Amino acid sequence: MSGGMYLVDGKNLSLFKDKPIKVLLAKPGIDGHDRGVLVLAKAFRDAGMEVLYAGLLPTPEEVVDTAINEDVDVIALSLLNGAHLTVFRKISELLKKRGIDDIAVVGGGTIPDGDKPKLEKLGITGNYGPGTPLSTIVDHITARASEARSRKMQ
Amino acid sequence: MKIQDIINGILNGDRRSIARAISIVEDDEMVIESSEVIKGIYNHTGRAHVIGITGPPGIGKSTMIGRLARILSDGNKKVSVIAVDASSPFSGGSLLGNRIRMQESLTENGIFMRSLANRGMNGGLSRSTWDAVKILDAAGNDYIIIETVGAGQADLDIVDLADTVIVVLGPGLGDEIQAIKAGIMEIGDIFVVNKMDRDGSFLAMKDIQDSLAMTPQKEWKVPVIGLDSLKGKGYDELVSEIMKHGEFNGSRPNIRLDRFMKEVEMALQAEIRRQYLLEARELLKSKDAIARFSGEKIDPYSAAMKILRSGKAGL
Repeated sequence: MSGGMYLVDGKNLSLFKDKPIKVLLAKPGIDGHDRGVLVLAKAFRDAGMEVLYAGLLPTPEEVVDTAINEDVDVIALSLLNGAHLTVFRKISELLKKRGIDDIAVVGGGTIPDGDKPKLEKLGITGNYGPGTPLSTIVDHITARASEARSRKMQ
Repeated sequence: MKIQDIINGILNGDRRSIARAISIVEDDEMVIESSEVIKGIYNHTGRAHVIGITGPPGIGKSTMIGRLARILSDGNKKVSVIAVDASSPFSGGSLLGNRIRMQESLTENGIFMRSLANRGMNGGLSRSTWDAVKILDAAGNDYIIIETVGAGQADLDIVDLADTVIVVLGPGLGDEIQAIKAGIMEIGDIFVVNKMDRDGSFLAMKDIQDSLAMTPQKEWKVPVIGLDSLKGKGYDELVSEIMKHGEFNGSRPNIRLDRFMKEVEMALQAEIRRQYLLEARELLKSKDAIARFSGEKIDPYSAAMKILRSGKAGL
């Protein structure tokens, strides 16, 4: 929303800012390669989002628990170990089991093109690989977050 | 989710309702919804023991809270944790990182944990944190732990909000401890020196004890406890002092009234701020008039007065 401006720490802020998008970044499963996910965390923060990182080796249950307790808009999953079909599916099943339809799930990592339609069928979109521009990912998350938001309002 | 469903959910301890309710009180533009939620649950609050934990960054607060929450949850007690982090004043975004160091004890012990970003709002942080505590209280928590970072305004807020304030310090703060002490010696009900495995920790304890000895004695004798959070040493003593302080609070009837007065003040501030936002939005609607002031080289103070007098920028 546009409107008046006020000054905080020398920076103009709109009086009527939209509520920041809240994202949970997680690498569920056995995968310790977190350089990429940390870069994403900073990029999302700089795009004005509130970012939670679930740390290394959370279980799918912990990821879903955290997403619910923190009332996030988007869960962003990253795996480089090839277990995405198993683990991402588990998370989308847990969400369904707990009756949650207002949290969007996006994926990324080393995901073969052939697997992407299977993930999309589960509602897990994006599925970006290495070399994707950060702005593409930020835009995608923003779009999915606004979908999730509109379902929260119902 | 409807507000009434959320209220019923909170009273039944449903996590989704609790989480959504906290999102509502966190949202600066949902003052009306927030007040409806608080109205609906207020009669069910006042039972939880609220423990505030503060101290400089990197001193091990999150690790300590992970352990403490687990110990307090033994014996079927319900424990929740709220961690407050700063938002970037530039992008408005934030990295809420405290969870990582508590993670392992949360899910398996059924502990609810929520991160709050302060969103750069003046006063917004305190109100949303107070309301979040009310929500967790009504949801039947026995203990609510709040973590805040650093010294300053946030610490002063925590004195009003928490039943028991724990100040966490550590060895190796050196001269910094002198600076920190200025605002912090008065607020702690319990002092903790974390990282007792490190050099200088006994000196740090002695230093704190010395400064406490110089402040005027009150009814409650402030203990200084050494903790080794890696090995879990010292936690028995910490928990027993927390319990003792809870009983001590029970003997002070004024606490409740003081807190209520503070809450009314904050509710008033929130409502005035909401009205101000609406008013300002209306007043600044006409960009043309403001552009004209600019063209006529009218200074901003005079422009503001003109707008106020005429009631709108349209003139």
